[in-house]
Amino acid sequence: MTLEPSRPGPLPRRRFLLAGVLAMAAAPLAAACTSTPPPPPGPDPLEPLAARARADAALARAVAESVPGAGQDLVQAATAVAASRKAHAEALDQEIQRARPVTGSSAPSSSSGVPTAPPTAAEAKAALVEALTAAEQEARALVTTAPRHRAGLLGSVTASCASLREVLA
Amino acid sequence: MTSPNPGPSGQSSANGPQPRPTGEAVEAVQRALAAEHAAEWSYGLAAVLVAKEMEKTASTDLAAHRTRREATERMLRDAGATPVPPQPAYQPPKPVTDAASATELLVTAETDTAGAWRAVLERTDDQGLRQFALDALTSAAVRATRWRRAGRQSPLTVPFPGQPG
Repeated sequence: MTLEPSRPGPLPRRRFLLAGVLAMAAAPLAAACTSTPPPPPGPDPLEPLAARARADAALARAVAESVPGAGQDLVQAATAVAASRKAHAEALDQEIQRARPVTGSSAPSSSSGVPTAPPTAAEAKAALVEALTAAEQEARALVTTAPRHRAGLLGSVTASCASLREVLA
Repeated sequence: MTSPNPGPSGQSSANGPQPRPTGEAVEAVQRALAAEHAAEWSYGLAAVLVAKEMEKTASTDLAAHRTRREATERMLRDAGATPVPPQPAYQPPKPVTDAASATELLVTAETDTAGAWRAVLERTDDQGLRQFALDALTSAAVRATRWRRAGRQSPLTVPFPGQPG
């Protein structure tokens, strides 16, 4: 599903828009990640992002399941937020684990309680927008200084949160 | 090339330091520029076919791509590289004949663009370029969401915009 130049042109190497090229380019990068330098001491800067993603997923699930008067649009949007934020939490956890396999035992403390859904659809929507805005800012703040192999993930999380706000708009 | 080259001391980006691609980042930025060229071409083709209520969005989005493309060309020239030119035409994955297929083409163009800019993020340590690529990735993902909604596609979003595979 990508656009290609309609003619090979004089530079056949430069068929830029083939997803396969990007995928192949990413593969050695992923392999290289295993030999990245040891992480600095202290908590992993991704931990607050993972915790926030889990909390957002729980909030969104609660909205989708139990807000009275939530229309179909809000239920669908909240379901999308829940699924994406859960995927973010898992990817962030995975990267945290990869960087520090030894401290794995202290990793995801998943149960911070089930959040109470806001009482009205309008408040639920506002709460989701607020959560996504904070999540986007938090991820965005790390993108410019993160190691390369994390910059892509953080960029995608940032872009996803912005897209989910668009769904709620 | 509609914009003059302002040179290294020219127009600065809205926020943060000037993007300065070096090494493997140059090739990644060139691929992103190629995606921007393809996106502009796609909007040109789709503009006359999208639903009436989406015409303004299409023209705003085209303008955003043009601005991004021009800034990308400046960045490459400032880095001593020759920006890749647009292709004369592109091959859409499916024939573009009506509002639905035009909208689908725009989703594809935005998805390609997001992927190309995310690849830049992973190939540079330059903070200005990271910021530039992040803004490009994020705005492409938001536009893709809007066009999916216009095309009544489901789901409206992907969890990791720009991620390959």
